[in-house]
Amino acid sequence: MNSSDGQGRDRRYLLVFQQVTKMISLAHNPRQVMASIVENLPELLGIDACTIRLLDPDADQFVLGAAAGVSDTYLSRRDVDSAETMDMVSAGRPVAMENVATSPHDSFREAARREGIVSVLTLPISYQGRVTGIMRLLTRRRRVFAGDEIDFAHALAEQVGIAIANAAMFRQLEHQVNYLREVQTISKMVNSTLDLDAVLQTIVELLPRSLRAHGCTIRLLTPQSNKLVLAASFGLSREYLERGEVVDEENTIRALQGEPVAIADVASDERVLYHEHMGREGIKSLLAVPIKVNNEVIGIIRVLARERRLFSPAEISFAAAVAEVGGAAIKNAGTYRQITLLFNQIEEHEQFLGNILDCIRPQLLVIDNRGHVVMANKAFLEANGQREADVLGMAYNQLCRVEEGERGCPVAEVLATGEMAVVVQSQREEDGRHWYERSATPMLGADGEVEYVIEVIRDLTAQRRLEEEQAERSKLEGVIELAGTVAHEINSPLFAALGTAQLLESDLGDDEQVEDIRTIVRNLKAISELTAKMASMTGYRGKEYVGETRIVDLG
Amino acid sequence: MANILVLDDVLDATVLVGKILTKRGHTVHTFTEEEEALSFAAANTVDLAILDIKLKKMSGVEVLAELKKINAKMQAIMLTGYPTVETAREAINLGADEYCVKPIDRQELEDKVEKVLKSKAKKSQLTI
Repeated sequence: MNSSDGQGRDRRYLLVFQQVTKMISLAHNPRQVMASIVENLPELLGIDACTIRLLDPDADQFVLGAAAGVSDTYLSRRDVDSAETMDMVSAGRPVAMENVATSPHDSFREAARREGIVSVLTLPISYQGRVTGIMRLLTRRRRVFAGDEIDFAHALAEQVGIAIANAAMFRQLEHQVNYLREVQTISKMVNSTLDLDAVLQTIVELLPRSLRAHGCTIRLLTPQSNKLVLAASFGLSREYLERGEVVDEENTIRALQGEPVAIADVASDERVLYHEHMGREGIKSLLAVPIKVNNEVIGIIRVLARERRLFSPAEISFAAAVAEVGGAAIKNAGTYRQITLLFNQIEEHEQFLGNILDCIRPQLLVIDNRGHVVMANKAFLEANGQREADVLGMAYNQLCRVEEGERGCPVAEVLATGEMAVVVQSQREEDGRHWYERSATPMLGADGEVEYVIEVIRDLTAQRRLEEEQAERSKLEGVIELAGTVAHEINSPLFAALGTAQLLESDLGDDEQVEDIRTIVRNLKAISELTAKMASMTGYRGKEYVGETRIVDLG
Repeated sequence: MANILVLDDVLDATVLVGKILTKRGHTVHTFTEEEEALSFAAANTVDLAILDIKLKKMSGVEVLAELKKINAKMQAIMLTGYPTVETAREAINLGADEYCVKPIDRQELEDKVEKVLKSKAKKSQLTI
């Protein structure tokens, strides 16, 4: 190699370097940087293909970032290269292979043969002394990579590393700002409702959109059985969602332990069990984050992407932040749901109790210890012609009317003594006098003081009237019995007296005393008429006699 | 003329009935004790019994039942100071011919006795 050749090559390197620098300075997105490199480098370096792979530190694998000049079949081979090559490049050293047919790694050798690849130069992409990826230059014709060519390509790879890192940093910052906004938006939305289903649905729809993923699931641990149950999903088929339990998947186990898990290539990752289902669903990458409330994991969110990708720390933090916001909202919504259920139960019980009280025939009042009505049943309201709204809060003494000379209302007595009190009151109403039994019972509080007084008012009018009727009937029966007795006891001697007088009357003939006997006979007959009336009595009517004395009117 | 038995717890009443009916030519036997009246009826022929409903130990209706056992053809007039539907129904069922309320008028008593005795005579003629 002469010096003019060397100068020419140096100039060409410089030119390539300038072009690469220019190219990567225009791109702020690592993907753009990588795409730009792999598309332009073959022509600049006179090679056939170029690939860039980035290190997934979680899986300790190099994941495809960009490629040009090779088929998807070649790119999707299981191993990138032999373990020896990978170890060397991971240690930061370029590895040149003039003829891949000599590679000790069978599957790579076969993949390269099918693709027609003959020579490969593998370069570490480093940033701040750490290998962050690899760049491979591939030729279909046998090519010997000279030392300066390797050095140049190595320098170029380092430049690519810096560019990717810068772009990633730029992008990360940009994402962080965006994610902050997204977290705010999601936070606002999930906190705007206490409906648990709405909260969950908001998260599964917004989170994948923010992360440019296509699907999302939320699984929550049931409080009773601690079982992981699918609570919401978005963008996924029923078949995929019903693929089976995920609780034994390593990514789930780790997420439930509180650790986010990002898987760039689910197809080859052992932390995933359902490779086939994921393949059919088109899922390439996965991010699982725990949902925490007060450091306790209550479930997991999984974000699923249809393109193979590395989730950046910013994306993982963002998902974790959303999960945390979601956790609080889920907890609140769950608590709200429980409170609502409890409230409904209380309301049902109250309604049930109210119905019972309304079905009770006696009137019922509950009065607080300040003398205000806090409850009145239907019977009370109907009897007093009042509405519940008017009665509640009313002072009790406005409701308890006391006629002059009667004992006061029993509630005041209970409030004063703490003992049960019963009062019978009578009052004049449209249909006559009514009697009420008002019994008041104290309801004591925890401190032993009267908290409420329960007053039961029973209308005794019908009972009283019945008692009066019975008394009247007994009196009538007594009068009739007495009349019968009198009639019987009088009639026999009267019969003897009257008959004898009549015999005497006929025996006397025209004697002057016959008139006296006739007077006796007439009066005895008058008595017999009265006893006949008494004997036929079925009822009686009183009439005034002298002063306050009354006698039975025999008509 | 007839043999008449009179039973009343009031002695004066039996005496009065005796006087009235004796004047009419009947033979009258008066009693205030139920057992004595029943013994008499068992030992003698009695055409008509005039019984008060209210007696000392038995009721007039019970005495009537016993008398009918002794002589089913014996006729009866019931007297009471306190008529009731129950005693009237029982007496009629047991074969009493009249149910009179005290104080019965002398004339009314005489008429009733005559009427009852005549009806007996008619029944006898029909039987013969």
